[in-house]
Formats: sequence, C-alpha cells, structure tokens
Amino acid sequence: MRMNTYPDVIVIGAGLSGLTAAWQLAARGHRVRLITKGWGATHWHSGCIDVLGYFPIGNTPPVSLPRETLATLIANMPEHPYALVGIERLEAALDAFATLCHDAGYPLHGSLDSQWLLPSAVGAFRPTCLAPETMMAGDLSRHDREPMLIVGFERLNDFYPELIAANLIKQGHLARGTLVETPTLRRQKAINTLVLARLFEQATFRAEFIAAVKPKLGKAERVGIPAVLGFDNALAIKAELEKAFDRPIFEIPTVPPSVPGMRLHRILTRAIERAGGDIRTGMQVVAADTKGDRVTTIWTEAAARRVPHHADTFVLATGGILGGGITTTYTGEVREVVFGLPVNAPTDRMAWLYRDVLDERGHPIFRAGIRVNSSFRPLDGETPRYTNVHVIGTTLDGCEPLRERSFEGIAIATGFAVQDALPTTNHSTSA
Amino acid sequence: MRTIQTEVLVIGGGATGAGIIRDLAMRGFDAILVEKRDLTHGTTGRYHGLLHSGGRYAVKDPKAAVECIEENRILRRIMPHCLEDTGGFFVVTPWDDPDFGDTFMEGCRNAGIPVEEISVAQMLREEPLLNPKISRCFRVPDAAADSFLATRLNAESARAYGARIWTYHEVRDLMMDGQRVIGAVCYDLVHDEEVRIYADMVVNAAGAWAGKIAAMAGLDVTITPGKGVMVAINHRVLNTVVNRCKMPSDGDIIVPIHTVAVIGTTDVKVSDPEHFAIEPWEVELMLDEGEKLVPGVKEMRILRAWAGVRPLYQETKAVDTRDITRAYTLLDHETRDGVSGIITMTGGKWTTYRQMAQVTVDRVCEKFGVQRECRTHLEPLPGAEQHGGYHWLGARFADVERRQAYGDLICECELATREDVERAILEGDAKAIDDIRRMVRLGMGPCQGGFCTFRAVGLLHRLRQPDVEEANAALRDFLQERWKGLLPILWGQQLRQERLDEFIYLSVLNVDHLPGPKATRLAPVMYDPPTGEAPQGRV
Repeated sequence: MRMNTYPDVIVIGAGLSGLTAAWQLAARGHRVRLITKGWGATHWHSGCIDVLGYFPIGNTPPVSLPRETLATLIANMPEHPYALVGIERLEAALDAFATLCHDAGYPLHGSLDSQWLLPSAVGAFRPTCLAPETMMAGDLSRHDREPMLIVGFERLNDFYPELIAANLIKQGHLARGTLVETPTLRRQKAINTLVLARLFEQATFRAEFIAAVKPKLGKAERVGIPAVLGFDNALAIKAELEKAFDRPIFEIPTVPPSVPGMRLHRILTRAIERAGGDIRTGMQVVAADTKGDRVTTIWTEAAARRVPHHADTFVLATGGILGGGITTTYTGEVREVVFGLPVNAPTDRMAWLYRDVLDERGHPIFRAGIRVNSSFRPLDGETPRYTNVHVIGTTLDGCEPLRERSFEGIAIATGFAVQDALPTTNHSTSA
Repeated sequence: MRTIQTEVLVIGGGATGAGIIRDLAMRGFDAILVEKRDLTHGTTGRYHGLLHSGGRYAVKDPKAAVECIEENRILRRIMPHCLEDTGGFFVVTPWDDPDFGDTFMEGCRNAGIPVEEISVAQMLREEPLLNPKISRCFRVPDAAADSFLATRLNAESARAYGARIWTYHEVRDLMMDGQRVIGAVCYDLVHDEEVRIYADMVVNAAGAWAGKIAAMAGLDVTITPGKGVMVAINHRVLNTVVNRCKMPSDGDIIVPIHTVAVIGTTDVKVSDPEHFAIEPWEVELMLDEGEKLVPGVKEMRILRAWAGVRPLYQETKAVDTRDITRAYTLLDHETRDGVSGIITMTGGKWTTYRQMAQVTVDRVCEKFGVQRECRTHLEPLPGAEQHGGYHWLGARFADVERRQAYGDLICECELATREDVERAILEGDAKAIDDIRRMVRLGMGPCQGGFCTFRAVGLLHRLRQPDVEEANAALRDFLQERWKGLLPILWGQQLRQERLDEFIYLSVLNVDHLPGPKATRLAPVMYDPPTGEAPQGRV
C-alpha cells in the first residue's frame, strides 16, 4: 500500500468501469487511487457481461452475432462509446477480463461471435456475451430440448421457480419448478440470496440441499437454482452438486443483491490491490480545484471532514444518473456532480420521459451523458474542458446501456481503453 | 351474458357506494354494488387522507362544517383503526391575513368544533419543522384517514350482511321500462362478458362520474369535476395535519399519512372525470405552497403525484369550483325529473360518506315503503374491537417485530409481509397487483414497486396459477401504474430510483421481452399528457 504516496491517477467511482480502469492502470504501473462513496453496479447486476443484447433497441429479436451488429452500430452511431473504443479494443478488454476471472478460478465463457440466451429470474431469455461457468448449463440457444428443473427455496422472496418454469414452457422449453426447504433453512429467521450464498459454502448445508433436491429430479436433465453458490468457491460447489445429481446445474441471476456480481467485485478489487492500487471507500467527492484546463485537486468528504487529493490525471466513473454521477432538479437542470462538466441532455423536463414505462425507445433523460473525444476527455463544445480528466462507463453520452443491454460491455471496454489516453508511466509495477 | 335480479343496485365503489351498500345490507336489503375498477379506484383512493374536523369549512361553508364535526365524532367511534389521531393545526403564516384567526375561531365555535389557540412555541415543540414565522396556531380534531382500508371494511361488513360486491364491472347502460329505470347493463372486465342486473332501485353513487350514469337514463345531472393534485413527500415531515388558516385555497394543507406526508391540493374545473392532466405548474405550486408551511420541502425527495376529481354538484351553473358547497345532495329523480327507480347521491366529501349513505338509504326505505333504522353509526367496522384504538405509525413495525417476520417482507418500504400479500390475493380476491397495493400498501414507498412488483407477481402466479402470459401482463400493468404517478415528479433521487428499477426489470429480468400482451384490460388509465401551459390568472 502506498497510502501516503501522491498518486498519478485518481479513479472516481467503483462500479465496473471504475474498477476495470483502476485494475488496468495499476497493473500497468500507474500509482492509482480509487475513491468511491460506495460500491457500484457490481452488487446489482446479473454477474454476466452483456455487450449488446438488442440493436436497434426495442422489441426486436436479440442480437445473435454481436461482432456483426457491433460493426453496424459503430457505423451508425459514431458517438457511441463502442465507436470510441472500437471492436478490437472491446475484444481485448473482454479477453483481459475473462483471463483475470479465469486466473481467479471463476471462468467466464463466450465471445463476440455468439450470444448466450440465459434464463432470467422471471424466465425471460437474457442475451449476454460473457457468462460465468456457473450459468452455462442454462443456455437456451443450444440445448433447448433438455428438460429443466428449476429449484427455489421456501421463504426466499426473490425467486419463483414456478413462474420461471411457466415462462420457459411458454417459450418452447421443458421446465418444472419446485421449492425445497432444509433443516438449517427452517432455523433461519431470514432467507435471502446472501444468507444462502454463505450457507452454500458449508458442506453440511450442501448435503442437506442435495438430499432435498434429489427426490425431485425426475426426468430433468439440468437443474437451475438462484445464483447463490457461494462467493469464493462457486465452481467447486457447482461440481459437487453436479456429481451428486449426476446432471449439470446452473445459476440464474437474481434481483439485487447479486451474488455473482459480488464475485466479480471481489476479483477486481483483489486485482487492484495486488497491483498496488489504493482503494478508499466511504468517501464522496464533493468539490474540485482547477487551474486553467487542468484539475489539480479533488476534495472528498467523510466523517464531516474535507480531505484534498492531488493527482496528475482523474478518471471519472460515477455511473451517470443511475450511479449518482449526474443529478437532475425539478427546474430541468442536469448536472455532473464532481467537475460540473457539460451534460448532453434534454433541458425541458417535459421531454425527459415517455408515457409508457417500457417504451421501446428508452426515456430521453436516461441518455443524459458526457460527450467525450477519442481519448475520453470531456468536451465543452468541440474542445476538451479539462486535459487531465477522462470520463468512462455509463456516464458517457451516446448510448442507452439498459435498453441496448450493453451496460457491462461499455463499462469494461471504456475502463480498459482509457489507459491508452494516459501517458505511459515510469513507475515499475508492484506485481 | 349473465342476468341477475336484486332489490337495490349501487353504482360506484368509492367511500359513498361502499357506505351505502353496508347500510343497505344492514337494513336487510338484497343489494349488489358494481364498480368499474377496484374499490376506491376513483376519488376515494386519490385524496390526501384527511378526516376533517370541519375547521376548513368553518368560515366559508358552515353547513359542511357541522356535518364534518358530527361525522368526525362518529367515525372515530366506528373505525378508529382506520384513523390516526394526529390532531390538526390551523396556522397563520406571513402570507395570510392575521385577523382571519379570530373569524376562524368564531366559525369553529358556531359549528361546534372544539378549537384551542396554542402558542407558536408550543406548536414548534410539537412540530419543529413548521415555519417559525407562523404567527398563530389553532388546534382542532383533524385526523389522518386510511380511505382504502375504510372502504374495504365497509365492503367487508356489507358482504357479511349478505351484499354482493362486484369490482371490475363497468356500467355500460341503464335499462329502462318507460320512465322507470329497471337495472343496468354491466361489462365484466375480468371475464370479458356482459352482465345484466335487474333491480327495483338503482342508487347512483358514482361520484364525479354520477352525471355520466344519470345521462344513461336521459337525466341531466351536472357534476363539475374539480381536479385536485396532490404530492407525496418521502418523509413524514409532520405528525400533525397542518392547514393554512385562511379561506380554502390551493396547496394549503399537509397531511401525514402512514409513512409519508401529502401536500394538497389544487382545484381546477375539468370537463371529464376520466381525462385530465397533472400539469407541471400544479406540482410546482404544491411545492411552493408546501415550502411556506415547512421550509425545505422543495429540496426533499418527492415520491409521487396524483390527482382526483371532487364530485361537486350545484343546480345553478358554477363558475369557480371552490365556491360550490362541499355539502352533499340527494337527487330523487322521480320528483325531480319524473323518472323513477333511480336516485343519485353526489357531492360531499370523504368525512361525511356515512351520513350520505344514511340519508340515501333512508330514501330507499321510503321508496320501498318500509321503516328500518340506520345502525351504521352504532356498529363498528370489522376489526375495530380487536384492534382496540387508533392506528399508529409504528403499528406495522411492531407487528413485524412481534411475529419476528423480518425475513418475510415483500415490500420493505411499507413493511408488507408475505402473509399480508398472500391474504390479499386469496381472501381479498385481488385481480391485479394494484388491488394488492390498495389492500396492503405494496409499492407505495420510496422505490415505488422496484423490488416488490416482481415478488408480488411471483406470489400471484404461485397462488392463482393463471396463464403465465397473464402474470407477465399483470407485472407490466403494475410497473405502468406506478409510472403514472411518477411521471410528474421524476427528478433528483426519485429519477435515480427509477433508473435502478429499470435496471432490475430490463437488465436483470428482461421483462420487456417476456411472452404475453403488453398490457391487460385492467391496465391503469393514464392521466392526459400535460399541456405545459400555465393556467389563466396564474403564473
């Protein structure tokens, strides 16, 4: 740890993009400090890396060949973050991320040449590019005739196996839902995904679970359960259950909190720390000092005390409206909270939203973002506002990450690519 | 098509209709109530939740004030569990005429409303967030009322006395035999079929829709729907109902109700009770006026906005709806229009619903030539005795603690447990997630259904086992229903919350690509798009 060292780079925000940027920059020898108010989207998301699920957005069939569709997207949307990154760097980012996870014993599978269709917690097909091995057997695009047993837990409010099964059946698959309970669970006051994940790390609980599920297997050829197979040893736990059931087993991502998202979070934060990065949580950036076209200092507030942080370069990864990096007011003001960067958004509040909550076009206000140049420097008109600030992730303009199902893809791609915009470092890596 | 015969058909499932059906059933009539959506779908479910002391009308409408305080006393007796005894303040702010206070005191005394002036220091001890520039404060027995619960309990009591209550039955036409109404042609939205109900007497209790119902029998009943916009703040900034001490006007009241505080309200004449917008100026006016009572309100997180239409009735043509009496009117169409078999009860306000029901059923008795005494002011609503006393804010949490039900919360914001939701589905006969909301307050807190919509659909599907496409559509219906009230107030933290809800429903669950129709027949009726224009005479 270099707690008192002057960092080269400060990354603001610890969602997927901030974590990816901090990891990559630290691994390449930058002295990195990651400053964050709290953890970001890793604790909410599916634990998969969605690169491009629907294009054009709307009620279209899912993208089946991401590489081809990405080329179309880039040709048509030159301001889109993927256009700034390019397919090559996107692919390099996904490879690096997959390698990191693989080395951590938690392999992700997939590529830009195919799309997984994995069941969601309501039984819809989620198109995704990279998925953890624990979810693979759920793929609906490849082994569609294998009957599934979807197993839930009594009193778990966030998983309804009958609903999932009914929707899978409606979409032409064979599925059945069932609920189980075990002696340990009966003693639990509250059951949620985190409690279950901790329990699955205990051999005695796994034995109880196996005993409860076995008599229900019937003709099922694969078994789906909520994504709760522990935090650190999911693969081993999965293997143990598969051996006992003599069938493949797969996880289905749940509504937040997300156990598979937290696994990725752990892998990334460990990688940052291993590379010498310094992570500071519980710190909200409240102000910045500037000199000409450079930011010199940011100020954080924690425990009612303001602390200055100096650096050569600042990477803003505060996650747009969802992450809190962009705020709005009832007068129609749309503001970037750290540096007051210009935000591209409709200023008339009447034009922010459509009347249909699921409107296929996506609500205009949720496209609010920072326009940047090819080195991710925020633009004021056509010139960079600051030369030593770079903006990444879903704070960027030109995309609708939720409707496109490109949330994680944009985060990882821009978090990876931002290193190219920084000067190379003279520091040796600590690894 | 089904055909049914009954003695009395009540049209309208708001407070008035539910009060009437209970009174009818208690007096031994065979009665059916039809409501085009769920109970309280109309004005009853869209007001601020105030049990008037009558103070608000003490100067302007003494008749209404007297009715209010009489009923206030009765409702405290028969439905304490639907009321929170918050008490009420009338406060003189720097924007109000300081002399009005004395006029107000006198009006209250004349109407028989207990009133007491307290010091501003005492007021601030009780409600520290109130504007310290307030110069006078009067205490009256206002209270907060759960109009959803009260209406449902009236219906429950009516059912126990043999009445039938059919929700999602829309009246499409009245059946006539010459100059006599003999029943109604209804459409059952849930089963998609026509139902003919023949009745000896039809009671039109359709509130703001009463004119439309009367017109089906060729009757001219002019209801002036007075739109009131309300805004809920994500904090219970006050524990006392606070009114401005002045002639009733826009945005002059804040009601603490359950976990939130509601600022009300505007009064804008609209032509149609079904089609109106929530205009940005109305929301801003509520915040500006709320700011005068509680400085800082404008910066707080706003949960939701909604609008209801008051059923204001006056025989002569009205200009400013605020000047129409809040007292109710019973129209006997036999004497008024020469059309028998139908009476209309309209006007009034939630606080006087029981008295309105009593007067209506007295007339029904006359028409049937029978003498049966009203007992609705004597017999408490179901659950009142077991509950023992007023509702209080901590009741739900105390219940969760007592049952150690921490892990069973389906809606964490409003502390609705799995048991509550299951009971609403099975015993409450909920047909849409929105019906569950009205029963257990599901989805009414800060996240506006972000987490509980999915869970409620899971439970609904598990318990009812409908075709899954119906369950999917029910889910989308409820997301849209919550959206309806969010649209006018989405900025700041609440906009961020909605993006999280989108994250869950689009990115994690992919509900926009589930099989099934986009919406059902039970989908919410949206407000009209706002025009964005300021009204005449207001800027």
